[in-house]
Amino acid sequence: MIKFSNVYKRYPGEMDALQDISLEISSGELIFVTGPSGAGKSTLLKLISAVEKPTSGTIIFENQNLNYLQKNEMPFLRRKFGMIFQDHKLLFDRTCYDNVALPLAINEIDPSDIGRRVRAALNKVGLLTKERVMPMSLSGGEQQRLAIARAIVSRPSILIADEPTANLDRGYADEIMNIFYSFQQVGVTVIISSHEIPKTTIHYKEFHLITGNLQNVPLLT
Amino acid sequence: MFRFLHSHYHAFVQGLIRIKANWIGSVMMFLVIGITLSLPATGFLLIQNASQISNKIQYEAEISIFLSKDIPSEQINFIRSALEKNTLIKKIHFEPKLDAWEKLQAQLKLSSIEDGVSKNPLPDAFFISLNTLETKKITTFIADLKTIEGIEEIVIDGGWVKKLRSILYLVKIGIVILGCLLLTVLIVVISNTIRLQTLTYQNEIEVSRLIGATNAFIQRPFKYTGLLYGFGGGVITLGIIKIILASFNLVAHRVENLMGGNITLKAFSLEQSILIIVIAMIVGWIASYIAAKQAIHKLEKNY
Ligand SMILES: Nc1ncnc2c1ncn2[C@@H]1O[C@H](COP(=O)(O)OP(=O)(O)OP(=O)(O)O)[C@@H](O)[C@H]1O
Ligand SMILES: [Mg+2]
Repeated sequence: MIKFSNVYKRYPGEMDALQDISLEISSGELIFVTGPSGAGKSTLLKLISAVEKPTSGTIIFENQNLNYLQKNEMPFLRRKFGMIFQDHKLLFDRTCYDNVALPLAINEIDPSDIGRRVRAALNKVGLLTKERVMPMSLSGGEQQRLAIARAIVSRPSILIADEPTANLDRGYADEIMNIFYSFQQVGVTVIISSHEIPKTTIHYKEFHLITGNLQNVPLLT
Repeated sequence: MFRFLHSHYHAFVQGLIRIKANWIGSVMMFLVIGITLSLPATGFLLIQNASQISNKIQYEAEISIFLSKDIPSEQINFIRSALEKNTLIKKIHFEPKLDAWEKLQAQLKLSSIEDGVSKNPLPDAFFISLNTLETKKITTFIADLKTIEGIEEIVIDGGWVKKLRSILYLVKIGIVILGCLLLTVLIVVISNTIRLQTLTYQNEIEVSRLIGATNAFIQRPFKYTGLLYGFGGGVITLGIIKIILASFNLVAHRVENLMGGNITLKAFSLEQSILIIVIAMIVGWIASYIAAKQAIHKLEKNY
């Protein structure tokens, strides 16, 4: 479904953040992108979700070369991804409800469905009672879960989460990973970056990065 | 269609929220737009009233033809028949010098004997009205008249109305130019305000883009903000004009009571009032379009 061939990414004025990356992700897989800080995990996720452009190389998504994608097609591509950003990117001047409703407005969902879907997403992450609360007054873990609710509300076929369990204690981290696993179980492709592989019995694929290089042929467990 | 309406409703609500969130700034914006637009609008209103008054003045080309004092009566008859044959002429009135003299004396209540003015100083005259207003025809007609022997002087009346009208026309053009300049200034001012607003909402713009919002979706709330600014400003303009009219008419009414006469400025018609609001809204829309376009352009460097 997603295929990288010899992809390089260099930010202006920096060294290569990613070098010669070739990889393949199939539909419904659970993927972990691991590596130390600054290894290029976020960059890889941004390339997958078409937030950043590769400097060279090709990225094929659903048989479409992203290099040839028109500017006005980009929003529709991005809607296929549920994105959880490393810095959450919540809107702090909107209630939790409105934060989660934003992707539905963007997707032009029938307004009579919005309330139900927002509450289902909030319920899924255990924030149903906080719908009228401003994100600022949520704890770190709650903000993380709110970001997840916003990513899943539009029922994307691919979930991309950038270090969703960083800064969380063990109990919360497991809880959040279980939310992702449950989506993978129903056929969603889940791509998670993390410093280390969490314990799981589920079949996954790992991409290990060190200073922008993909380390080994993906290990299968 | 329903989705389309919904996304516009969503954007409209967002626009309203943004106006409310920064309501002091919004009120300032209403006032800036309202006051700026009230300048050319008031000018237009005055012109409109002035042209209405000038239209009421019956305007026909009236020509007075004064004959030489020692003209023989055959020549007068010749001129009369020549005038009667001319198709341009609607009405002919001949006033012999004796009649004119008696009239003048009656008006001034003096008798020729007492005053010692025994000789009639007035000439015979034809007063004619034309059935055309076309300058070209009138000029050739007058040129023809001048060639006739015995005609001393030709005076065209009604020319001042024409002059008044051309002055009004010039002033109108001036106001249109002034209006265009002020509209441009407004566009700059509004778009700058909205540009500052896009900075406030940069976070939201960025997140929306990242999760798949089209440019149109991002621009829409700003456009509605601009439209609402224009609407508010237009309403203020109408309010200002109403106040100006009311105070003018109040003063005019007092003067009338003292001196008689009838001066009342007429307000804009409903259509014109709507037009003012629509113009203000278009200005707001253009300004916000420019501002939002810029804001998105800045983010478009990646994809
Ligand atoms: N927007 C950017 N502009 C310039 N350089 C960047 C940008 N984003 C990342 N980099 C650089 O690219 C390299 C990889 O960064 P990246 O964020 O992908 O690492 P990471 O593996 O996600 O790290 P972390 O675990 O700390 O999140 C780093 O050297 C970083 O400084
Ligand atoms: Mg990162």
